[in-house]
Amino acid sequence: MSIGTPPLPGPPKPQAKALNCPKCGAAITLRSFGQAETVVCGSCHSILDAKDPNLAILQQFEAATHAVTPLIPLGTRGKLRGADYEVIGFQRRDIKVEEITYYWHEYLLFNPYKGFRYLSEYNGHWNDISICKQLPTVERGFSSGPGSAANYLGESYKHFQTAEANSDFVLGEFPWQVRVGEKAVVTDYVHPPRVLSSETLDKEVTWSIGEYMYGREVWDAFKLPDSPPEATGVYENQPSPVRINLTSVWVAFAAFAVFLLALMAAFDILAKKEPVLHETYQLNRADARGESSFVTDVFELTGRTSNVEVKTYAPVSNHWIYLNYALINQDTGQAWDFGREVSYYYGYDSDGSWSEGKQNDTVVVPSVPAGHYYLRIEPEADPLLPGVPYTVDVTRDAPVFGIYGIAFLALLLPVVLVSWRAYTFERARWSESDHPPAQLSSFTSSSEDDS
Amino acid sequence: MFRRFYLFYGFLVLGTAAFGQYRGWSLDTINQLKNVPKSVRDNPGSYRSVYSGYHHYTGGK
Repeated sequence: MSIGTPPLPGPPKPQAKALNCPKCGAAITLRSFGQAETVVCGSCHSILDAKDPNLAILQQFEAATHAVTPLIPLGTRGKLRGADYEVIGFQRRDIKVEEITYYWHEYLLFNPYKGFRYLSEYNGHWNDISICKQLPTVERGFSSGPGSAANYLGESYKHFQTAEANSDFVLGEFPWQVRVGEKAVVTDYVHPPRVLSSETLDKEVTWSIGEYMYGREVWDAFKLPDSPPEATGVYENQPSPVRINLTSVWVAFAAFAVFLLALMAAFDILAKKEPVLHETYQLNRADARGESSFVTDVFELTGRTSNVEVKTYAPVSNHWIYLNYALINQDTGQAWDFGREVSYYYGYDSDGSWSEGKQNDTVVVPSVPAGHYYLRIEPEADPLLPGVPYTVDVTRDAPVFGIYGIAFLALLLPVVLVSWRAYTFERARWSESDHPPAQLSSFTSSSEDDS
Repeated sequence: MFRRFYLFYGFLVLGTAAFGQYRGWSLDTINQLKNVPKSVRDNPGSYRSVYSGYHHYTGGK
């Protein structure tokens, strides 16, 4: 098992070597100042021994039919994390899952003082990768089960995927004996935006730590033309768009709900609920032929501008009555006009007994100023109904509980929306893992801390 | 950021609910009219409700 950065030489002499491929004669430039173990001819794709002055051929591979063009050309220099790097190597790797081959690209970067680091790209998702400075610890042994995790520098990483990776295309220089067809077991542990990876090749394990980068950052770092390829899907260590601690938001919601409950109790206690009119009238069919409308006695509404509740009760059975109401301010002529139906039907059919409607009705007239008022009532009724009594109750300043219902929903909605967004994102992330969403127990823990 | 927004939003919702309750808001649809003549009190038939002529439900299930 090897960890740590490759040994760095003292201050290097700028000596980019210009050599020729022993197979095709194409010019080969060595950019890594003697750090490379192998170099790949860009023309004939021969893998050459960079340590050999004659560039002995180590492997040849057929790339003509599936040559890959790096998005960042070899030799491109850029500033990454505050240091200058040059792209000196490129490889395409793949894994096969359920007969589907997934490809990703790795770029090898070199700085003579900082050493090597890597950029990986998959479907427009980028990672800045470097070799671990300490050996991570794997919890529950070296397993890849759903609960397994790795710990690195005090941070816990959840197991995401274990797969056999194959290198199918290489270009440039590499500080190891690279080969096309080389297979390594790669295990990824994630703690967005970081990914901890172990790569096992011939019993040698290399740990690396990667941090998610957006394509635009890479393009800016290397001053590349045009735009980076658009990222598709959700990547294993991609930061969640919901960068909040959902638990704290749900706690805030619970606190608001308690406040709302207290508010409801307080207003219910403080509401005047003052009865200002209680009358029972009789609706007769005979009367209905002429003018049926009438007015009540004048009653006084006192106090601040508040609501007025009008309750109607009529003992109808399989009939209806309809009351056209107008609450009229005797002094100002302002009126609140509303119609209310009281109907109650019941019966029995093949499904059993049923009933519909009810014998009472309540309506709340909003924001009525103090003053002297009366009700104009114009009753209508089912023509089959010979007559029915009905009672009208008017109450000043009654609590309206529907307002609290709407407030509760208004408080709940944003929390549900962000939770749903976080959930769907994490679901998409983990659906690509060895532990698909059916086993996804907690999505909140994957969200990042509140910023 | 969201947490701060939500705290502000939550207090706004509570404040609105309290203000609405204090001012007597209602969820019912009520039509408001102005300048109803005083003669309505003596002649209720002279007032025409906007709801009169409403077609009523005439049967159960």
